[in-house]
Amino acid sequence: MKNPSTSEPAGPAYWRSLDELAETPQFRQWVEREFPSGAGEMFDPVTRRHFVKIMSASFLLAGLGATGCRRPVENIYPFAKMPENYAHGVPQFFATAMPSRRGALPLVVKSSDGRPTKVEGNPDHPDSNGGTDPFAQASVLSLYDPDRAQRYALNGSPGSKAAALDALTALAGTFGNGEGVAFLMEQSSSPSRARMQQLLRQKHPNARWFVYEPVDMDAARHAASLAYATSVTPYYNLEKAEKILALDCDFIGTEENAAIHIRRFAQGRHVAGKDDPMSRLYAVESLFTLTGLNADHRLRVAPSLMTAVVARMALNILPSGDWDAKLKELSAPAQAFDGWIVSCANDLKAGGGKSLVMGGHRLPVAAHLLVLAMNEALGAVADHTLEFHQVPEATEEDIGELAKALNAVKITTLVILGGNPAYNAAADLNWPLAQAKAKTVVRLGYYEDETSWNPQSHAGTQWDLPAAHYLESWGDALTANGTYVPVQPLIEPLFDGITELEVLAILAGAEKTKPYEIVRDTFRVGGGTGENEWRKFLHDGYLEGSAAEPASVEFKGKLMGPVLDLLKPARGGPDAKNLDVVFHRDAKMDDGRHNNNGWLQELPDPITKLTWDNAILVSPKTAHELKLAPDEAKRDQTQRFYDQVVEIKLGDRTVRGAIWVQPGMADDTLGLALGYGRERTGRIGRNSGYNAYRVRTGDALHYASNAQLTLTGTTYQLSTTQSHWSMEGRAPVREANLADFRKTPDFAPKMDLEKPPSVAPMYPNPFDTAKSKGLHQWGMAIDLNKCVGCSACMVACQSENNVPIVGKEMVGKSREMHWIRIDRYYSGLGKNILEATADPQAMAQPMLCQHCEAAPCENVCPVNATSHDEEGLNVMVYNRCVGTRYCSNNCPYKVRRFNFFDYNRRPLDQLYRSPIDPTNWRDGKWELARWWENPDRGSLPEDEWRLVRLVKNPDVSVRMRGVMEKCTFCLQRLEQAKIAAKVKARDSDRIRLSEKEGTIPRTACQQACPAEAIAFGDVSDPDSTVNKWKGNPRNYTVLDVLHTKPRVTYLAKVRNPNPDMPDYKKHAAPYSYDQYSEIMGRPALEAEEPAGKGAR
Amino acid sequence: MSDVFPKWTNRLPRNLVVAAVLIGTGVTAAVTYYFTPKYTRVGYEPIQPVAFPHSVHVGQLGLDCRYCHNTEEKSWYANIPATSTCMNCHVQVLKDDPRLALVRQSAATGEPIPWVQIHKLPDYAYFNHSVHVNRGVSCVECHGQINEMDEVYHAKPLSMSFCLDCHRDPAMRLRPLAEITHLDWKPESAAWQKSEGKKIIHDWHVQSLENCSTCHR
Repeated sequence: MKNPSTSEPAGPAYWRSLDELAETPQFRQWVEREFPSGAGEMFDPVTRRHFVKIMSASFLLAGLGATGCRRPVENIYPFAKMPENYAHGVPQFFATAMPSRRGALPLVVKSSDGRPTKVEGNPDHPDSNGGTDPFAQASVLSLYDPDRAQRYALNGSPGSKAAALDALTALAGTFGNGEGVAFLMEQSSSPSRARMQQLLRQKHPNARWFVYEPVDMDAARHAASLAYATSVTPYYNLEKAEKILALDCDFIGTEENAAIHIRRFAQGRHVAGKDDPMSRLYAVESLFTLTGLNADHRLRVAPSLMTAVVARMALNILPSGDWDAKLKELSAPAQAFDGWIVSCANDLKAGGGKSLVMGGHRLPVAAHLLVLAMNEALGAVADHTLEFHQVPEATEEDIGELAKALNAVKITTLVILGGNPAYNAAADLNWPLAQAKAKTVVRLGYYEDETSWNPQSHAGTQWDLPAAHYLESWGDALTANGTYVPVQPLIEPLFDGITELEVLAILAGAEKTKPYEIVRDTFRVGGGTGENEWRKFLHDGYLEGSAAEPASVEFKGKLMGPVLDLLKPARGGPDAKNLDVVFHRDAKMDDGRHNNNGWLQELPDPITKLTWDNAILVSPKTAHELKLAPDEAKRDQTQRFYDQVVEIKLGDRTVRGAIWVQPGMADDTLGLALGYGRERTGRIGRNSGYNAYRVRTGDALHYASNAQLTLTGTTYQLSTTQSHWSMEGRAPVREANLADFRKTPDFAPKMDLEKPPSVAPMYPNPFDTAKSKGLHQWGMAIDLNKCVGCSACMVACQSENNVPIVGKEMVGKSREMHWIRIDRYYSGLGKNILEATADPQAMAQPMLCQHCEAAPCENVCPVNATSHDEEGLNVMVYNRCVGTRYCSNNCPYKVRRFNFFDYNRRPLDQLYRSPIDPTNWRDGKWELARWWENPDRGSLPEDEWRLVRLVKNPDVSVRMRGVMEKCTFCLQRLEQAKIAAKVKARDSDRIRLSEKEGTIPRTACQQACPAEAIAFGDVSDPDSTVNKWKGNPRNYTVLDVLHTKPRVTYLAKVRNPNPDMPDYKKHAAPYSYDQYSEIMGRPALEAEEPAGKGAR
Repeated sequence: MSDVFPKWTNRLPRNLVVAAVLIGTGVTAAVTYYFTPKYTRVGYEPIQPVAFPHSVHVGQLGLDCRYCHNTEEKSWYANIPATSTCMNCHVQVLKDDPRLALVRQSAATGEPIPWVQIHKLPDYAYFNHSVHVNRGVSCVECHGQINEMDEVYHAKPLSMSFCLDCHRDPAMRLRPLAEITHLDWKPESAAWQKSEGKKIIHDWHVQSLENCSTCHR
């Protein structure tokens, strides 16, 4: 990247990385190559010559041995006793739920011959449309994680499960009245856990209970309980809201229940015709988040001014009253933002009860009280745009108290159920030392991690118990709207792990300690005593009618005063010497719990597009001032940057990490993502990122100020997918403002480039005739107005289609394998790069194989490995592909993926290493010998060979090295649906799938999408949803000028900015209009020149 | 010059050409015959751990295929029956026969019987039993006259061209659904089959699918 300089002319209007904007020669070179340099080469000690030598030797040996001529004997092992209602090869589906902090995601999980392989949302659940989040999609991979805790260990040495459980029982006998006993748990909504806890409390009344989450989302709940003087939690009916203000609240990304929020938010953004209403989103934030990406107006504010902005907003919204003076004092530092704040407040006030203010989990409780007061004043509560649900009162203490008690040696027995405090507790607690002060520690954990037995620090005894995955456990939970859901196992615990319920029940000396019985008993209380009710509960995956009723609450404004008084006004914003810090939940690792999940590690962050690492995010201006730009002189063969490594000093604590320049960040602010830099983790999570918890202290868990930054002089390579597969500014994304859209509903197709004179092709497209034979014609439409960029589809696709992970080095060489990617385009103009990148808008666009009717990839394949079927699919025949990569070269959408290595047969920590590397000697064997002995297994270690392949979908081929692959429109689902129709039809002719009968399958991405932004179906059926979408005036084709006739089309985005806002001028017309006019020499919309053009 | 080249060398070029042609033809013929599934697969008849004569069970006793292979109408996979299925009869019939020792042992211990796999498709070919047997294709078409086999052998090549032969022209191989598991059933005549096949194709909307995506995913 060039150093942003003040004299450069403006770059292009839409860009995806700073590099692209800067138009560096390196970027040009990158784009013009099909794959970046280095993608086609091997930089191993093994040279090509060496490779050929060894391979010829192997062929010779193979010939001598001639073992390939005999067919090996393979056995079929049928059941000895046939299970009832089981047919091998027919998947079964079970309803369950994935517990989250204070809720759960209702799921339906596919079991392929006894092993869970795919997670879907439960569409029958009253608060779900079948969409999920990336975490749920990826959770099935964690089940088969070879690095998960597998043994019951006493002080690090393995023991038996029986011995461990006996020890637990014996331990429970010593509890007495509970003096000196402490339980540390994660948050949970499980009624069964509450019941077990109650049992223990009755038995050992003096035992102390602690609940800890490193990223605690309870602030809104605390505030609501305070303000309404009863234990309630807010619930947002976002679809009702016409105007939404998100105050550092990334409800689309990293807040709790994002999938639900996305669904409801997308309903409010649904614009079928020009007269449809559409919600408006204001976002105030320090980072650039998904919520900011979707916002119509975005205000970037440094964290230390955040509370001031909330107060200023309150000052403008609340009727004048007792707090005016305090609010004025608090909000004084935010005066600079008055233009934005006043107009926004006026707009919200004009919305009646349909305006909603949301506060994020990083805001202090006092700020949340202001948020509630604003909602009350706006009438959101009265209008049920904001509801409150009764929740059980949280009576547990926090981890700070526990650390104090431990340090005072008041705790002799510590039971840690889940969580990883030694890694993620506030740094000033010195948790590992505190934990070591307990005489006996019992720890239930999914991994052997930092909190597990540590000989250096611990003197007492510690039992480490392996936790069962939620897909192996009986349990229960309440979803966000209070609906009671079962957690139902699909498989016996793979490593004999136990659940939290079991441990609590044993310690309580309960009569029934089997988790099934515990959950069954809990259900009797709330769900009914009969067996039928229980079965229906398990079958449906929720208890009908158990959703919480909105509580009728009365706002006790007076209670706010004392809390507000605690707030001190900010001393002013940050500067380059005293930087602000935001610690944020990572979009992929959460708080670090998903650290060893390869799918999530390789998933590009929705905004930064970074994989396998976190970085220290800074705004371009701050980067410029502090000279943090990547080292221009140092680039490797693949044009990757060497990013500066800096040291952050916060108080007397320091941490080192690589810098990432993030457009749209608040200036003088550092964004530190949590969840990386683990010391004890598995093969996947090792060496990824830095540990931001090291500088995170109890008094500044979310925001910190006065951080200093120093350059270390060293560099680090980050792997990002950001500037790969650039589209060269041909308006692949199109957008308009609501006003323009209403005037010119078909603005998107109007922006098509002028087509070159059409010449009849020399050879007619064979598909034009083959088409008539197809029973269906598959097509897809993606509504960019609904897509929020959450990336759940990417993981869903990976899970459904056996897409491998390739590792950090490979991503750096553009070899990632995702069949669907989310392109994120920034747009912003300014006199120079700094201005253009300071506060850009952004857009997300899912990009997948477009299934062109005139597919350019097909013409160039020398072996006909990619061709069209009669139903309009561009199909890829793996066993025919010889790996020329011509197709990828000729694909204008850059959606084809090549298997450069045998990713499925390589060890997880050595995905990029040649199998014939002569230095590769492990476990007493050469690498080559392993491949020779078992080509299917390749060089997989025993545990990976046994476990990781269990996650594979048996309905999709696992591709090998040297094969091209890409989106198939989930061909396996289409074929299965067609087969099912034919089996049902038998000797009749009713074999056509139809949407009316509900027989059209959903693609994995479509099914996972909480926003319902994807429509898929038969375009030859005039009544199909996809056809209706394609008839929408916003429908357009990406790169229409190429005449590829894609089956995937997009509905252009509509933004809804407020003309009264000071930044309206900036957003008055999307930048693509300018770009269009520049290329075409005429205005984008024929109706008139976009307003406000002269102002820019 | 005759000192250097003896007389027979005059015929050498001709002989070389003839030999090359003969050898070339031979190699081509050999490869075409020996290197195809018609030779490498057909006739494969491994010894099974328990001698299970289909000829007795199906041919003489008239058991229906679906009594044992009960998932063939529901799943892509036609199952090998569980030991418990064998024991339904063999708790009474031949209950002490030494040939069935392994079966009884399996039923007692729960250890599966290690049958040897005969028909095997590559992993990238997704064959589905249910869609064939429910739509007029009999077991015989791919497995041969199983009802006459003492020990099952690989009767048809099951190569891609074998599949395509039928997929291109299904008419000659479709039969009424009632006759699917009647392995001895024969059409009245070739002409009857032709007209009946055409009728089935029309009435049931049988597609002649040759798309790659039909079998490869």
